[in-house]
This record gives sequence, C-alpha cells and structure tokens, in this order.
Amino acid sequence: MREMQTLDPTHRPAGTQTFAQDAGEIAADLAARGGPGLSRRQWLAACAALGIAPGALTGGARAQGAAKEVVLANFGGDAVKAMTEAYVVPYERATGGRLVIDGSGPSNGKIKAMVEARNVTWDIVDSGLAGTGELGPLGLLEEIDYAIVDRAKVVPEFAYKYGVVNYMFSTVMAWDTGRVKAKPTLADFFDLRKYPGKRMMRKNAQAMCELALMADGVPVDKLYPLDVPRAFKKIAAIKDDLLYWNSGAESQALLRDGEVAMGWLWHTRAIILKRDTKGRVDWSFDGGLLQPGLWVVPKGNPAGKQAMTAIAAMQAPEGQVALLRSMGNGPANPAAEPLVPDDLKAIDPGSPANAAVQAKIAAAWYEQYGAKVNGDFLDLISS
Amino acid sequence: MTTAAPRAEAYPALGRVRRGRGRPVRAGGEALYAWLLVPALVLMLVFYAYPVARVLWISVTDPSPGLGNYALLLTSGAIQRMIWTTLRIAAVTTLATLALAYIVAYALVFASEAARRVMLVGVLVPLWISVLVRAFAWVALLRREGVVNNALMASGAIEAPLPLIWNEFGVAVGMVHYMLPLGILPLYAAMRDIDPRCLAAARGLGASRGQVFRRVFFPLSLPGVVGAGLLVFIFSLGFFVTPAILGGGRTLMAAEYINLQIHEIVRWGVGTMVASTLVVVVVALVALLGRFIDLGRLFGGR
Repeated sequence: MREMQTLDPTHRPAGTQTFAQDAGEIAADLAARGGPGLSRRQWLAACAALGIAPGALTGGARAQGAAKEVVLANFGGDAVKAMTEAYVVPYERATGGRLVIDGSGPSNGKIKAMVEARNVTWDIVDSGLAGTGELGPLGLLEEIDYAIVDRAKVVPEFAYKYGVVNYMFSTVMAWDTGRVKAKPTLADFFDLRKYPGKRMMRKNAQAMCELALMADGVPVDKLYPLDVPRAFKKIAAIKDDLLYWNSGAESQALLRDGEVAMGWLWHTRAIILKRDTKGRVDWSFDGGLLQPGLWVVPKGNPAGKQAMTAIAAMQAPEGQVALLRSMGNGPANPAAEPLVPDDLKAIDPGSPANAAVQAKIAAAWYEQYGAKVNGDFLDLISS
Repeated sequence: MTTAAPRAEAYPALGRVRRGRGRPVRAGGEALYAWLLVPALVLMLVFYAYPVARVLWISVTDPSPGLGNYALLLTSGAIQRMIWTTLRIAAVTTLATLALAYIVAYALVFASEAARRVMLVGVLVPLWISVLVRAFAWVALLRREGVVNNALMASGAIEAPLPLIWNEFGVAVGMVHYMLPLGILPLYAAMRDIDPRCLAAARGLGASRGQVFRRVFFPLSLPGVVGAGLLVFIFSLGFFVTPAILGGGRTLMAAEYINLQIHEIVRWGVGTMVASTLVVVVVALVALLGRFIDLGRLFGGR
C-alpha cells in the first residue's frame, strides 16, 4: 500500500533520470515503431552468429571460469540490445574475450554501495558527468588507463581522469510551432510576452544553467566558470511558468500534449517528438549544449585492466555509428564522422557542423561544484 | 492449529501463569507459543531492525562521525523548506481526506445492507489500482488540454485553461484520492461501533437531528477521526510517486529528497538523516495514536 518501495531506479518514475537511463527507453520506442532500431530477428541472428543464447547476454550472470569476462552495466531496456550490437561484437572480434551486458541500472548510489561492500560485479558503467563528478572525488572509481584507451579516438576535452566519452548527446531547445511561429532564440525562452505559454526544463542544474546564461547573453567561450547566481536569477524570473521533467519520456509528453510552448530537453527525445508530431514540434542544435556520455570503472572491478581493453575495443567507429542509428546517441570517435550516413548527419550531435553551433560542457567545473549547484537548483525550483 | 494444543492451563498464552506460592512459573504450552513467534521475530530483526539500524548508523557516521547531518535540520534552509513542504502537503491532504471520508463513512453506516456492499466495493477498488496508473489518470483529467479543462472551455464556463495540475493543488487532488480508502475504513469501523440506541435515546429526549449529530454522534466518532487522521498523515509523509508526477517538478517532498541524496548526489549521510528523522516522527505519531485509540482494533487485531 505504501509507495516508498519504488526506490528501485530502473522502475522509478521520479528522481531525475540520467541520459543513459533514458537512452534504453528510446531504443525500445524506436524498435516498437519498426524504426531504425534493431529488430528482434536481427537480434536473434546476431546472437546466433556469436554462438550464444540470447538470454546469456542480458542476464548479467557471470560464466564460470571465464577469467577475463567483462560486465558492462547500463540502464536496461533496449539499450541492452543496442549496445550489444554496437559494442559486444567489436570487442569479441578484437580480443576473443566475453562482454556481458547487465541492464540493472547502475545509479551512483548502487556503485557506492558495491564498492564500499567490496563486492563489485560491474567492470564498466554507462554514466556521465554526474557519475565522475560525484563518485570520482569519493575515490569510488578507477582512473582510466590511457595507455590502453586511445586518447586519439575521442574528442580531447571529453577524456577525463575517471571517465572517458562513449557517446555524445545534446541538450537542445524544442518548440511547439502552433504557438511559436518563427524559430525562437534562447532569449525567447524567457520572453513570456512574445511567446505566451509554459516552459519546460530538466530537474537538474546540468545544462540548464548553461542555456540560461547563453540566453542572458554570456558568450559561449566565457561560460565557465558558471555564474550560478546569474543563471538562477534568469530562471527565477519565469519560475511561475516553468515545469520540470524527471525522465526523458516526461519531457516528450509535455511538449507533445501541448502543456508547454517551449522546452529544453535531450536531442534524442526531440528527434522522436518531431517525427511523432509530424513537425508540429520542431527543434534545433542552435544554442544547445554538447555533453558526453561516459564510461566509468568502479574501484576494484572484477576484470581489472581488461575493462580498459574493452573500452578501447568499443572505440571502434562502426559500432558507434550503429548506436547513432538505434538510439540517436552520437559517435564519440571523430573517425566515425565519415561513416555516418547522410540520413543521420542532421541528428548527430557531435558532427562538426552541429558541434559548431553548440557550447561544450566543462567537466572540471562540475567535479568541483556539481553536487552543490544541483542541490541549490532543486532548492530554487521547489521554494 | 493442527498440533495437539495443550489445554486449559495454556490459554493465558502471553504473560506468566501464577502457580503455587505465587511464584511465576513457565507453563509448558506457553513456551511452545513463544517459539511460534521466533521465525517472525528473526525475520523482523534481520530484514527490518538491522537495515533501519544501519540507516541510523550511516546518518551519524557519514561523511564524518557526529551529529553534523542532524545539525542541517537547524541550519539548512533547503532542508527546512523541504520538510515544511512535506508537512504542509501531508496536513492539507489529511484535512481534505478526513472531510470527504467522514461523509462517505457516515453514508456507509446508515445505508441499507445491499447498498453498503456496493459502496464498500467502490471504496476498495481504487486500492487495487497501481498508484502510477492513478497519478497518470489525474494527468489526463487535469492537464491543460485535459478532460476537465476541455469540458469547461467548451461549455463556456472559462476563457483560458485553469491551472489544475503541476502545482500543489494537483498533488493534493492525487494524494487525497489515494488516501480516501485509508480514511474511510477506520472511520467506518469507528462509526459502526456507535450504539444506535444512544441516538434513539437522544431523539426520544427531544433532540433535533442536528443536535443528535453535534452532541452525540460526532463526539462518539472522534476517536475514529483522530485515528484515521493520524494514519493518513503518516502515509502522506512518505509519499513519493504522486507528488513527483503531479507536482510538475516543483514539489519536493521528503521521500524524493531521500532518493536523490542516496542514488544521485550520493550524500548518504544527509539522505539517511532525513529518513531517520521521518522514522522518528512516524514513531512519535504512532505513539500518540496509541493514546487516542486502540491500535490493535484499528488494524483488525481484535
């Protein structure tokens, strides 16, 4: 009867969802519509080709005696399928080892519990700056070994001490063309007289502060260190007309149902919105914020250095392009750029053309101030 | 009870049986009954007492030993605001639930047997529907282009959509809906125990219907009101799903705050402190509840 048991992050409707969490749901959505995702048949064929039972990859169970088996934890759903296609095959070709995907939802809290209990079962975790920012300083992550992981195969500013980019995503603005007739600027987001109607942002300081500051006229190269009071002041000015989303699906519903006129959301959700509403909701990379999804390695991971080898294998560009097709997550390896087919170029957040019109997030700032600014942000919006 | 139960002397199953010169002696059957409690007790200790103790322990040791986390209750404006929001919403929910539940319980008590059966089903059915489904149903009803606003706009009653959701009003609507059975059932139980002869006697002595209600029925139903009120209030304190969905992200209550601290911001000390505070408040309220009404009876123990 009591509903507090919904603390399991894979099923929770509340608590702010991370991008990695949302990615799984998106792939499921695309596949369900017969979109460009991996079909069930393709998936079974891929499994057969590998000589493995389909369940073996998803169960997360560790095979006996496979010394160098690597367990990759993500947020489940069809991200398990999509990442299997994109990463497992290249890894097994490159090393002959086994890579197992565990979709049980590796929240920061679970990683901390695992490491502190000295019972780590994950080698690689699909995380982001909130992961490196919160867990790194607490000594709960292994440093990325750049003797094994190739720095040349990532955008240099997204290779960090405790995490290395695995895909790119963007926070972008989308708008309801029924109410916003011309393509709006970030400043228009705060102009309630010009475009009446509610606005929407993520219930998390990351990216929201950056977009608010750019809307206030801060040039892209002067964003960091973030002027948090200025960003908060800008946001507070329209607080009565702001809604905040927790999960990617929620951001999609609010725009689709006409609850808001404009919103800031992940580009992956914007893609689906534009397609589902047949263009009634439009979006653009202009004035967006380019962010990295990161691989992190929990301290004391069972496969040791083999985790780094697996990360290196997953830097192969082909798999990353496959991930762009199935989930909308952009390739992290610049060498993937020429492999991106024309129909996907417009939605690739990290392509030179799209990256040029966006700001790039700075991890160093979040490592130092991330937890505090996020707490203050929650306080701002709930007071 | 299929075992050959010991007879008469074992019936005072709890407490000690006095024998001989008044020294307490264990009766043979009593020990057997005590053993029956062991599995449940072990289960409670391992899966309930131990984790709760761990939570308390973390709240005074992480990140450093001491009461630093609890000091935040006094020093952190953010935590005070969150607790104030939690208490305010729980209180509003409780009052609204009691008012509506009282009417329904009253109608139940004085309904005919057949009507009562139908009404009870109506009260109980929502309990079996997932809290998520109910929250999203309210979204469909209350949103800007939802059923209610569209109907009102079409009838010309309003010009622009009313802000029925993404605020504390929407949260209260969803929570009251969830809590109603929890308010109605204890109230109904309490009202059913009121001796109808008291009401008849009052009428016989010349009281009007209103006077009978004000001076006889209502005072006699008060223990039920207090019990139902505390029950609903305690449940409301831990609400998680409904405020998160209907609040538009602006209503931060304790349960969601704890979730954030544990899973995302990984400040376990702060999260467990808020959780422990919640437990203390709930235990205190249950103790208070015990003073007003018979708890065993409220939960069907007798």
